[in-house]
Amino acid sequence: MEGALMATEERSAKSDHADSSTGMLELRDIVKRFEKPGQGEILVLDEVDLDVEAGAFVSLLGPSGCGKTTLMNVISGLIEPDRGTMRRGGRDVSPDDLSLGYIFQEPRLLNWKTVRGNIEFALEARDVPEGEWDGRIDRYLDMVNLGDEHDNYPTRLSGGMKQRVSIARALAIEPEIMLMDEPFSSLDEITARDLREELLDIWKREEKTIVFVTHDINEAVFLSDYIYMMNTDGEMFARREVDIDRPRQYDDPDIAKREAELYREFHEHVVD
Amino acid sequence: MDRLTRYLYTVASIIALLALWYVGGVTLPEVIPGLPETYAALVVVLTTPGPYGNMFYFHVWKTIEMLFASLFVSMIAGTVLGVALGRNETLESTLATWIYAWLAIPSLVIVFVSAIWIGFDASSGYFAIPLVITPFVGLNMWEGTRNLDTDLAEMAEFFGAGRIQTFKDVVVPQLAPFLFASFRSGLSIGWKITLLVEAFLLTRGVGFMFRRYFDQYDLPTMMSWLIIFVVFLIVVEYGVLAPLHERVMEWRPEAEGVRVTE
Repeated sequence: MEGALMATEERSAKSDHADSSTGMLELRDIVKRFEKPGQGEILVLDEVDLDVEAGAFVSLLGPSGCGKTTLMNVISGLIEPDRGTMRRGGRDVSPDDLSLGYIFQEPRLLNWKTVRGNIEFALEARDVPEGEWDGRIDRYLDMVNLGDEHDNYPTRLSGGMKQRVSIARALAIEPEIMLMDEPFSSLDEITARDLREELLDIWKREEKTIVFVTHDINEAVFLSDYIYMMNTDGEMFARREVDIDRPRQYDDPDIAKREAELYREFHEHVVD
Repeated sequence: MDRLTRYLYTVASIIALLALWYVGGVTLPEVIPGLPETYAALVVVLTTPGPYGNMFYFHVWKTIEMLFASLFVSMIAGTVLGVALGRNETLESTLATWIYAWLAIPSLVIVFVSAIWIGFDASSGYFAIPLVITPFVGLNMWEGTRNLDTDLAEMAEFFGAGRIQTFKDVVVPQLAPFLFASFRSGLSIGWKITLLVEAFLLTRGVGFMFRRYFDQYDLPTMMSWLIIFVVFLIVVEYGVLAPLHERVMEWRPEAEGVRVTE
């Protein structure tokens, strides 16, 4: 159990490209307990530390129900932690100070609004001046290859297309950091692969920072700069780099090798 | 089934009903008012002069006025009640039993008690009818509120939507089908209670006409009034509610021809 705390031996290499004006987002000692009916209090996040370097693709990897989503919701402000600090560029920050976009596991679209209407909903909610709406809607729908679907209703789109709309909606508010909670887990593998590659393109081109929650080791290795690993006790037990050149290929033996290494480590910590 | 076929089936069913009615009227004249007699009575009802230019206008209008004013009040009161119950657990556990008790009170009892409390005039109707319909609307809206999607609420919260925007764009569209269902059940229950009120307490309206011609054993004229009001309700359904419902629910995928583009 002593190795179950933050492992730091592999960090350092990438921290130099963190810009000090935006800076690295640092979460420290985040604790969150939930009251569960019949089970008493459950510790979901146990003194979790997390570094999100500016411009990085960071994954949170862990089995189902290990508190990954809770951690995302702490960053986004949807959940108040019981303890812990969030700092950026050396100053304490609250979720309101951060520029965030959120892509949920389900698309969470308003089915009664058109694709355009769904993006307008987010723009209105974020008080984006109306003059900018059309430009942003066109730009981000094109970016997710839905340029022809402005006036279609989500109920008439496939699962993959709905998730694209949800990505365009998050991009449209032009956030620095995109929070993504298992966004491809309910899609078929072929659609998911297409979307992962497109996501990496957008991430590079738009210089976003992405925090990506997944339980899929292969997905985490393919996408990430570095990976945080969580267990079901709410502990973040390791941070591991993925030093594989981009653009990456699915069938790259380096990916398979890294995946196997991480799997072994995971197995030791998660399964007793 | 295409539009024309559906239309033909509707016409065929009307013709079959009229034929059955005609045969029934000839073979069992004491039970079923004859078709020709009913037609003659209908013409008399439709052409008798009276207030508002025509007698039937006056009575139908009085019934509609009471019915729709009551529906209006019940839709608001029932929606407020249902949404409150669906959102507030304390209120729900406190009031749930009483809602079911309220639903169990026979409408006839409510009408009679209103007459004793308020008197034999229209005010009793305006009191009794909303009292009968409101719990039905409330029950529907309660169910609708319990089914509100918490994921969408979280999404709206994350993007920073205010109360008004959330209500208008997230809550109301989810409640819309329940509002339509409430209005439809309110209309069909309300019209029956309005008739009771008019028959027992008042001296105008379609319900009063039923009682008057019941006292005279005039079956064809009673049938005429029934036809007038049933036609009116069908017009409301097909002329107003159905097209409106279709417009509001435009986003739903059609049963046929769903366009999936990936």
